[in-house]
Amino acid sequence: MATTLFTSYKMKKAKILLLIVIVVLPLTLVSCSPWGSQSAGGWAGTAIHDGIIYAGTKDGRVVAINSSTENLEWAYSIAPVTAPSGGLSCGQTSVPTAIFSTPVVDRDIVYIGTYSGQVLALNMLARSQNLTFPQRGDGEWEWNCPDNAKSKAIVADLLVSADSIYVCSSNGRVYSLDKGSGDENWRQENIPLLSEKLWTSPVIQGNTLYVSTYDGHVYALSVETGVSIVNGIPDWIFESEAGFASSPMIYEDTIFVGSFDRYLYAVNVTIGSDEPMWKFPREKPADNWFWASPVINEGIVYAGCLDGTVYAIEAKTGEKLWEFDAGDPIVTSPVLMDNLLIVINESGTVYVFDLDAELGGEAAPLKTISIGADVRSSFCAQESLVYIRGEDNWIYAVDIDAGGVIWKIDLNIEE
Amino acid sequence: MAVWYLIIANPVLNVLVALTHILGGSFGWAIIALTVIVRLLSWPLTKRQLNSTKAMQEMQPKIQELQKKYGKNQQKLQQEMMKLYKEAGINPLGCIWPMLVQLPIWIALYQAIMSALATTPESLLGLAQRLYSWDIVNQAIPLSSKFLWLDLGQPDPYFILAIIVGGTMWVQQKMTTAPTVDPRQQSTSRMMTVLMPLMFGFLTLMFPSGLALYWAVSNIIGIVTQYFVTGGWGYLKLRSPSQ
Repeated sequence: MATTLFTSYKMKKAKILLLIVIVVLPLTLVSCSPWGSQSAGGWAGTAIHDGIIYAGTKDGRVVAINSSTENLEWAYSIAPVTAPSGGLSCGQTSVPTAIFSTPVVDRDIVYIGTYSGQVLALNMLARSQNLTFPQRGDGEWEWNCPDNAKSKAIVADLLVSADSIYVCSSNGRVYSLDKGSGDENWRQENIPLLSEKLWTSPVIQGNTLYVSTYDGHVYALSVETGVSIVNGIPDWIFESEAGFASSPMIYEDTIFVGSFDRYLYAVNVTIGSDEPMWKFPREKPADNWFWASPVINEGIVYAGCLDGTVYAIEAKTGEKLWEFDAGDPIVTSPVLMDNLLIVINESGTVYVFDLDAELGGEAAPLKTISIGADVRSSFCAQESLVYIRGEDNWIYAVDIDAGGVIWKIDLNIEE
Repeated sequence: MAVWYLIIANPVLNVLVALTHILGGSFGWAIIALTVIVRLLSWPLTKRQLNSTKAMQEMQPKIQELQKKYGKNQQKLQQEMMKLYKEAGINPLGCIWPMLVQLPIWIALYQAIMSALATTPESLLGLAQRLYSWDIVNQAIPLSSKFLWLDLGQPDPYFILAIIVGGTMWVQQKMTTAPTVDPRQQSTSRMMTVLMPLMFGFLTLMFPSGLALYWAVSNIIGIVTQYFVTGGWGYLKLRSPSQ
């Protein structure tokens, strides 16, 4: 009797438990989902100009910090965006926009792209006086990406030339904007749809703009019109089996670009061959993607890989000159400063290599400095100082000569 | 959490991405193939459940007799029914296990869909740390989220999947839920057969359609196997005892 009642009780309990699980499951999933909690973010890096460091913060601001006094010169909050409240709420909430694109400074204007699909031109003086944006007389403007796809977010760094700014959008198109006014230079009908989304930056050589895509193509577009230089229709000049993970880097008619198949490709843009000049490593692929763009110095390509290795590769042949195991993934591109190569891994360890020294086989860094915070943002270096925005939303100034962090500023505090 | 990723989440993600590459880059077909694999792996449990269902269908005349006989004495009725189940070697809780076993798969699949489609730059970077170093997996990246009219990373805007998920679940529930004369049990049964499809239909409107696609295909496979193993539409066609 007791057993029967217990079994019956167990049956009901199991059904109730199942229903509870089914109710709790979506709540758990939604709370862990990208819609569950709306916050800003992004990995905008640092740029330096005339002793002022410019950076995008995780709470949707562009800040200017005096590198000598360590004071905040100005900060500009980008207009927030509306997003679902999260959880099971159907409401909307206002959140700061994320910034992935590193600010670019040209004379007295700071250009920045936002995840909400805007490009802003900020005049330094107008921002330091906290005037209403945009001050068109001071060269300020804003451009909104045409919403002709599910996303118009700008993730890639902007490319600034003498007269124009080139913007890659998540809607899969590249736009050319007039630097002075923000007006679009190319006719709408000429702007080709290159990919499902474009999260990598273009490069420019002469009158041609080169764009690599996640679906494995390299396109060559006229900087004047946006039309493909191949035959006037959107056509690629190189196709790979796997997609390209990194933004391309161009040097002497050769594009160097990392791929999702764990190779670094060298593609000659003039010969029009279906075969790359070389792909690295030669024997077998690396253990992860070449996510960061490589840099080149005196015919040697320096590439960081998400498997934590830094490689020095002969640009012409693809032959490995040396490698170094940085332990953790390398998300951001290396930086060259005089004869030094600076590499930062994701866990925030700065490695400095002396390129004048003999670095055969297994290279050893000249300096190793830890900032104690994760790093995914691009960084800048000047006069033996490296400026890094950590994932903790602080800016760190690392003195390579002294071998440590000399100051840091908390960007989480709005002043 | 590391154990969860090591044992369940990462294998599901990598199998899904590998299937996408094998199936010509279609993430939707990969989800359907994964559903078939999951159903095959959970076949021993499903078979036990179906056998129980079939045995319970065969026992219906006896159960209805008991319900008529002890309708007013619930304790006695439960006691006699349990005795009957025990004699026939049926576990009345058996139907719950295949569903519970699939719960971790649902969670892992949800995470896999969101990771694999990499709808944000962070998730694309995070994906690099979760993929195995198999060529077949890395060559498939990035995945396209388009399948039929669906964006697999977003809920279905046309409610078609919600109707399919809810409808197929209702059919499946109806096929397995035995009719009863006891009003309390009737209300529990009604709750299970109506509430579950409604709830899953509602969830389909909230979750990425890739996950809903899994539910829909899983339900359809369930209906088909149930039809062939139990030899028909089960309780869906049987009259209720009150009739």
